[in-house]
Amino acid sequence: MSGKKSTVNTRHLLWRLQTYAGKLHLVDIFFWLLIMGLPAAPGLILQGFFDTLTGESQLDWSPWVWIVWLLVAGLARLVALFAGRWTKSQHRFIMSSLVRHNLLKQLLGWPGAAPISVTGEAEAAVSPGELISYFRDDAQQAEDVVQHFAEVVDMGLFALGAVIILVTVNAQMTALIFIPLLLIVGVAQYAGQRIKRYRRAGRRATEQVTGLLGEMFTAIQAIKVAGAEKPILAHLEVLNDARRETMVQDAMFSALLRSVFTNIVSLGVGVMLLVTATSLQDGSMTIGDFALFVYFLEFVTTFLGFLGGLLATYKQVEVSFERMDDVLPGVEAAEIVAHSPLYTNSMLGKRRTLPAIPQPDYGGDNRLERLVVRGLGYRYPHSQNGIEGIDLEIKRGELVAITGRIGAGKTTLLQALLGLLPAEGEIYWNGARVAAPGQFFVPPRAAYTPQVPQLFSQNLVDNLLLGLEADEGLVAKAVQAAVFEEDLRQMPAGYETMIGPNGVRLSGGQRQRLAAARMLVRRPELLVFDDLSSALDVHTERLLWERLWGWRDERYQPTCLVVTHRPLVLARADRVLEMVGGRLV
Amino acid sequence: MKTITTFWQLLSRYLRQQKRDLFLLTGALLSSICLQIVNPQILRFFIDMALSDDVDSGQLYWAAGAFLGIALVTQVLTVAATYWGELVAWTATNALRFDLAAHCLQLDMRFHKKMTPGMLIQRIDGDVQYLSRFFSRFTIMILGNSLLLVGILGALVWEEVGIGVGMGIFTVVTLLILVRLRGLSIPYWERYEEMAAQFYGFIGEQLAGLPDIQANGAVPYVLNRFYRLNQKWLPLFHKARLSSTVLWGASIVLFATGHALSLALAAYFWAQGELSLGTVFLVFYYSNLLIKPINDIRDELEILQQAEAAIQRISELQGYESSLVVADETHLPAGALGVEVVDIGFAYEDDPPLFTNFSWTLPAGQTVGILGRTGSGKTSLARLLARLYDPQAGAIRLGGVDIRRVGMAELMNRVGMVTQQVQLFQGTVRQNLTFFDETVDDGRLEEALKALELWEWVQKLPRGLDTMLGADGLGLSAGEAQLLAFTRVFLKDPGLVILDEASSRLDPETEALLEAAVTRLLTGRTGVIIAHRLATVSRVDRILILAEGEIVEEGVRAELVDNPDSVLAGFLGAGQASLDEEVTA
Repeated sequence: MSGKKSTVNTRHLLWRLQTYAGKLHLVDIFFWLLIMGLPAAPGLILQGFFDTLTGESQLDWSPWVWIVWLLVAGLARLVALFAGRWTKSQHRFIMSSLVRHNLLKQLLGWPGAAPISVTGEAEAAVSPGELISYFRDDAQQAEDVVQHFAEVVDMGLFALGAVIILVTVNAQMTALIFIPLLLIVGVAQYAGQRIKRYRRAGRRATEQVTGLLGEMFTAIQAIKVAGAEKPILAHLEVLNDARRETMVQDAMFSALLRSVFTNIVSLGVGVMLLVTATSLQDGSMTIGDFALFVYFLEFVTTFLGFLGGLLATYKQVEVSFERMDDVLPGVEAAEIVAHSPLYTNSMLGKRRTLPAIPQPDYGGDNRLERLVVRGLGYRYPHSQNGIEGIDLEIKRGELVAITGRIGAGKTTLLQALLGLLPAEGEIYWNGARVAAPGQFFVPPRAAYTPQVPQLFSQNLVDNLLLGLEADEGLVAKAVQAAVFEEDLRQMPAGYETMIGPNGVRLSGGQRQRLAAARMLVRRPELLVFDDLSSALDVHTERLLWERLWGWRDERYQPTCLVVTHRPLVLARADRVLEMVGGRLV
Repeated sequence: MKTITTFWQLLSRYLRQQKRDLFLLTGALLSSICLQIVNPQILRFFIDMALSDDVDSGQLYWAAGAFLGIALVTQVLTVAATYWGELVAWTATNALRFDLAAHCLQLDMRFHKKMTPGMLIQRIDGDVQYLSRFFSRFTIMILGNSLLLVGILGALVWEEVGIGVGMGIFTVVTLLILVRLRGLSIPYWERYEEMAAQFYGFIGEQLAGLPDIQANGAVPYVLNRFYRLNQKWLPLFHKARLSSTVLWGASIVLFATGHALSLALAAYFWAQGELSLGTVFLVFYYSNLLIKPINDIRDELEILQQAEAAIQRISELQGYESSLVVADETHLPAGALGVEVVDIGFAYEDDPPLFTNFSWTLPAGQTVGILGRTGSGKTSLARLLARLYDPQAGAIRLGGVDIRRVGMAELMNRVGMVTQQVQLFQGTVRQNLTFFDETVDDGRLEEALKALELWEWVQKLPRGLDTMLGADGLGLSAGEAQLLAFTRVFLKDPGLVILDEASSRLDPETEALLEAAVTRLLTGRTGVIIAHRLATVSRVDRILILAEGEIVEEGVRAELVDNPDSVLAGFLGAGQASLDEEVTA
């Protein structure tokens, strides 16, 4: 969101990726050296075979021995192949996992209620559906380029060997063939910018399609009751067509570039034919040399093809890194490839033990005495909506209610306070300035129930605990306080009930109360409710407040900050604050 | 056999529209295959000529020139084939994406409760991507390369019948083995892809629930889940790739055997004195030439392998059927629609029955307020009326017509529903109101927005109706989103309007403002209003109070209010004690 355009150093990022699982990478490169190099063996064996037939061989072997050797070379390659595929799978997985891990980690650190958007592009908010393409395609791109690079290293070694042999045979001819190589590098550099442009357009078009698909199925019920299937599908068709156009362009351009590469190589062979036409005649070159050139040229050709491919992939991964950097404003690009533990299974498939999930520290001094907010403000990008100049003071044990019309900024105030929006202003906890509200306002200090809580497609108790270690008594107490115990009793599977994507198998009220229980089981000092009444009937909400108040004892005395319109809550509140147009009045 | 039928169905269905492009693609691919045979012939001619005693240097240069020319033409053909191939592939896959999306949209809510949007994106976009190459070149490559194989074997038979037959048997056996191995890895890739869909579903959910995760201190838990998913995913990746390696490994062993076989046959016939050394060379050369088409066929089969797994998942998706049987036999009468619920029985899948022998009627043009605690069946009744579900027993009639006998599009057009959760799309205000339907004219939009007193708000937006809204209505307050949902219903001309806790997220002032609009909407229509707040149903004609799927009380509102023994009066009385304005009857 900051307008700055950070420069992404792709080479450095790739180096960091390659050094992440360095040892595995080297072992893998070694196996692939064998897999790619062993096809050279049959060439030598064939030479021996034909020499034996014509009686020119120095070895006194029968032709059948050579044939057996041919089979042995095949088997050796087979063994190398299986070993190499195994290491390659492990390495590939680790590469994309690392990128996915870092992406997820950074996004989890992003102020969660602020729109995720692409830097520099106005109105380019990115939906979760679109974000998935970063995890899928851009991570894949990073995985691919590392493998591509390893292959080029392997083939390069063989190509180098081939070139050295060729130079010793005929330096002039070698030069004639390899000058095109310089041309290729030039062409690729020149074309690189355009590849990037096409690739970006293609990615953007793909995002739009996946984004629409995601929204379509998130909003499935709204679409159904609106009977809006047809226009939605028509819109999908428009996006589909746009994507096809950019994708075909991209593929065409890549193919054109590839064909330029191979063409330059074919040109080399043609030149060789023209040159050898005279050298073969005057005897300065033997037919053996010619065969050698043709044989090794294949190595070099394949290598050049790969090199060209690498240059193109490199440009593409540059796009991917830039995209990931764009979606993570304020985060160093190097974080995308930061070395962090992944706890991947070992090569032999052994699972590594995961670290224990850090638990809230209830023992520490987290007691809330006074919470002071000064000059809190936040404005949504490209919008007049937001809040400004909020001053607020809450004392221990108070129930502070915020009320006001829609669009007055009530929810924004809660989210800005909790650090879910990158807000300005100062927050003091017991007089000490809170530097990073997002990291500070978590259990045991604070917890939050949004107006429309998000639940996850796991079972009920996992949704409730989200990794928290709590004994059964506490869970039961939280469930009871949230007036969820009756619902729970009616579920045959109890705590193990699967609640479906975003808790869709629960009713709106059940979702809200489960989210409240999720907050309560954490026993935070500050409870933040955003409009419970929207999904609860009066009786249920009254019960909830009674039970919550009944929970208070000497050890636990929560402070509550609540957005509400309910008279029953407003009556109970120690203070009622009204918001109008983003300000407290 | 079943899969082959599916292949043909897919091919004929999605390629039928593209005969011209397909024809051009076939031409380009087949020509480049032919040129593959021609160019080596030129090389051989060149060597023979260069080594012969009477060298004609003119012919040598001609041969070199022809080589260059053919290489160039091959490249042009390759680029052309790429262009047409991509065009055909994208057109076909886009059509398939469209059909799948349309299919999923019409599936009932039972289906959508099981699938996260992330999973569906992976099915509709990810899986279909695998079919891209299958559509564009699979058949042509298989046919073309088979022709090439036949040609080469014919040439071998021409040289020496025994060798030709031997190599022919080798080719057939090799192909049989490779085809046999083809199916081996499908189940493994299927499991891998299933896991991938699960993973991206996980990512999508976490990103949608960032505020819930962060403010409840669950970030470490989410990372922990990421590690655990990875630990489950990697072994599947290993197994899938290893199973594919079997095919590759088999081809290495087979080709080594092929080489050995050709040399053995040649050595045998040479020892018999039936072959010249030159012919031994030629035999080896042609045997070598067999590898490329076999390899190409293998490559295509490998792609088919991935495609097959994807096709299986796609046909699985296509196989889901909506449990709502749609008939298009009759029409709903014009005007307000009376509601008759006759003896229905209903349960959500495995849950205990919610309604048993439930009957209820609402005369056309009247409005009913439905009250009841969470879980009493209010929302389920609304969903049944909008035919998001069908009851397992009994019938629902609107305007005297069983809703199962009316086309879905017509029904949805005549039943308007606003739910508590408003789903918005990343798009303009206009697109959100019309669900991307461009045929809705501005006049109608303006009229609807004015009726809801939203027109002023829209005009204050930076670009009016064309202002972009973020995904999930970013930048809108919950109340503003709710008002947009109201506008959606206004745009239709429903005979039955269902408001399911529709105003719950609005503050009392906004709700009051909306009341006039709601009254206007309900004039001349039948209305079902579900609410927690008694105030919301203060203007209705009738009241229905539900508890656990049964009618507690039903009747004319005014009569119930006057009857001190009624449940409603009890509610009102209880409310009066503590909630003042909730009872402004």
